Amino acid sequence: MFKVAVGHSNDPDSLEAINETLEQCLISLGGVLPQAGILFAAIDFDYSLLLQRINDTFPNIELIGGSTDGEVSSVLEFQQDSITLMLFCSDEIEIRAAIGKNVSQNPVEIARQSIESTKQQLTLPIKFCITMIESLTTSAVSILQGFDLALGNIPIFGGATADQWRYKQTYQFYKNEVLSDAVVTLLFAGNIVFSHGRSGGWRPIGKRSLVTKVDKNIIYEIDHKPALDFYYYYLNIDEPDSVYPLAVFPPNEETFFLRGAISYDKNTGSITVSGDIPENSIVQITDTCLEDVIAASQTSFAEAKANYAGQAPEAALLFSCAWRRQILGTRANEEYQAIANLSTPALPSCGFYTYGEISPLSEHGQTFFHNTTFLTLLLGN
Amino acid sequence: MEEDEAKIKKLEKENRILKKKLERSEIDRSSLETTNRNKETLLKKVICDLQEYQVILEKKSLDLEQTLNDLSLMQNKLVEAEKMAALGSLVAGVAHEINTPVGTSITLASTLRDETQLLITLVETGCLKKSLLNHYIEVASEVSSLILSNLNRAGELVHSFKQVAVDQANSEKRNFKVKEYIEEVVISISPKFKQNLYKVAITGDDLINIYSYPGALAQVITNLVDNSTLHAYLPDQSGHIHIEVQKQTDQVIIKYKDDGLGIDPQISGRIFEPFFTTAREKGGTGLGLHITYNLVTQKLQGSIDCESEIGKGTLFTIALPNTINS
Repeated sequence: MFKVAVGHSNDPDSLEAINETLEQCLISLGGVLPQAGILFAAIDFDYSLLLQRINDTFPNIELIGGSTDGEVSSVLEFQQDSITLMLFCSDEIEIRAAIGKNVSQNPVEIARQSIESTKQQLTLPIKFCITMIESLTTSAVSILQGFDLALGNIPIFGGATADQWRYKQTYQFYKNEVLSDAVVTLLFAGNIVFSHGRSGGWRPIGKRSLVTKVDKNIIYEIDHKPALDFYYYYLNIDEPDSVYPLAVFPPNEETFFLRGAISYDKNTGSITVSGDIPENSIVQITDTCLEDVIAASQTSFAEAKANYAGQAPEAALLFSCAWRRQILGTRANEEYQAIANLSTPALPSCGFYTYGEISPLSEHGQTFFHNTTFLTLLLGN
Repeated sequence: MEEDEAKIKKLEKENRILKKKLERSEIDRSSLETTNRNKETLLKKVICDLQEYQVILEKKSLDLEQTLNDLSLMQNKLVEAEKMAALGSLVAGVAHEINTPVGTSITLASTLRDETQLLITLVETGCLKKSLLNHYIEVASEVSSLILSNLNRAGELVHSFKQVAVDQANSEKRNFKVKEYIEEVVISISPKFKQNLYKVAITGDDLINIYSYPGALAQVITNLVDNSTLHAYLPDQSGHIHIEVQKQTDQVIIKYKDDGLGIDPQISGRIFEPFFTTAREKGGTGLGLHITYNLVTQKLQGSIDCESEIGKGTLFTIALPNTINS
């Protein structure tokens, strides 16, 4: 038995919103106790209150979550100032929540330890993980390196927490704690089937430039000029615009990955991007359009559906990039509607707009940190 | 009462949501405007980039065209230079070769003159004896026959050289017997065969006749022989070259075969490429077979194929039309 319940409220009042969300979940659960849950909440809510109410309703629940740049679910579809909660019930699987605090101090080691200590509590083999990570204070790529040390080739899915385009502080939730600079993870073990799909939609345009000075995820120079000049050249602005991430071609590679700016330093002219960049990479500015963004979402969902090995999925988790939402603007709901047309109407789904998405490139490959992608994770048994 | 409370609660909730949405839409509108403004700037810039690239590409295209023309000119000059070098080498070889029979003839003529002078003195002084006259007759007969054979050899060389040199320099079409002409070419270049290490056998029908460019064919045969002597044999190694001329309906087939080292399969596909050589240190230019290929396929309007096996030698098969098109 595997049961998933979803609640979603767009009431700006924190207490009203969590009560409404829990009420919807309780009706769906029909008396079954959830083992674990994920909460996605917009930036203006009283998080402590939300967590306290969830823990009061479901004591000992293995709960993780984080702040977002938009929420999406099968209940209210796309919302911008809402909370959505997904709860998991099963007697065949084990789900445990893991926490790594002050992750910026030693991202690799803290991420590794957070998984190692929680792994001990599981009796069944781990199948996959869902994680929500801090992205403003540290390198997401380093956190994934730590996960990799603890998990090997076990796939990890999720996203980097967001703060509605403010780039000041994001939050992670663990059980009843509200944290920043942390990494939270749900480890799924036992009889559970999953599949995933991932697609982008951004294309490199303009001339190719060389990254001439970089330290991990801080680009100091492009073509021997301050990195900020690159954005000034293209956008005529003194700061980078995350909607136009960089296409990064590592040395001797013809395929690219995307890296968006998360902060910058006017004094040094440097740009801090969402993940590490190899030295001597070629970079190009990128662009997309609404049609390409929506087509990519559909591709992602269709790919996950095609890869699903069970009878039919019983839940979907969706992780979409905040920059995609920025491109979609007032038509952001079309992204959800485009994939809703491909799924069964009753499929409970839940997700959030992130500052970076996490998934392997292939079914059982190494996990990578992505930008501007739409990630679909289907679950069932 | 309860119903009213519920309605009020619902309205309050909707009011809260609408208020939040209004706030949000203001923020979103402003950020969307920024995004669109940036997009416009970006696209303008990218269009400028593209125009810049277009200018650069057009210039590069013109430069490449110019370079290609220069290279074609250079190639033609090199081909011409190669031809002249071959002709020069032919002149030097023939001059060297002709030196021996002519020099021998001079020595023999001088001997005959001395013997004749001695005979005249003997006759004038009345001292001529029968034995001395017999000796003179013997010497004169032997010397004159040696002079004749040496001058014949020199004449043969001059005749062949004259024909081949004229053909190579003039580049004119004419009717000629293929086997006989190849024999003349081989005689002309035989001085190149160090210490008579290489034996060249030419077989086939003497009467096969074509209307073509003999100079081009001479250059082809010269280049193939040069190629064999440079690549196919180790220093001081002897070799056999066999050239066979056959008739095939409207074509003449010339099979040129050496029994040398053969060509490595890894490079066999590149032997006709310009400037490709495995013997640059021995003075190879990498143009010989390239010129050969061009002469056969373009000037002589035929085809050339190469088959080779390591240790078993190399076979070039040349197919030429009986009559060349104008």
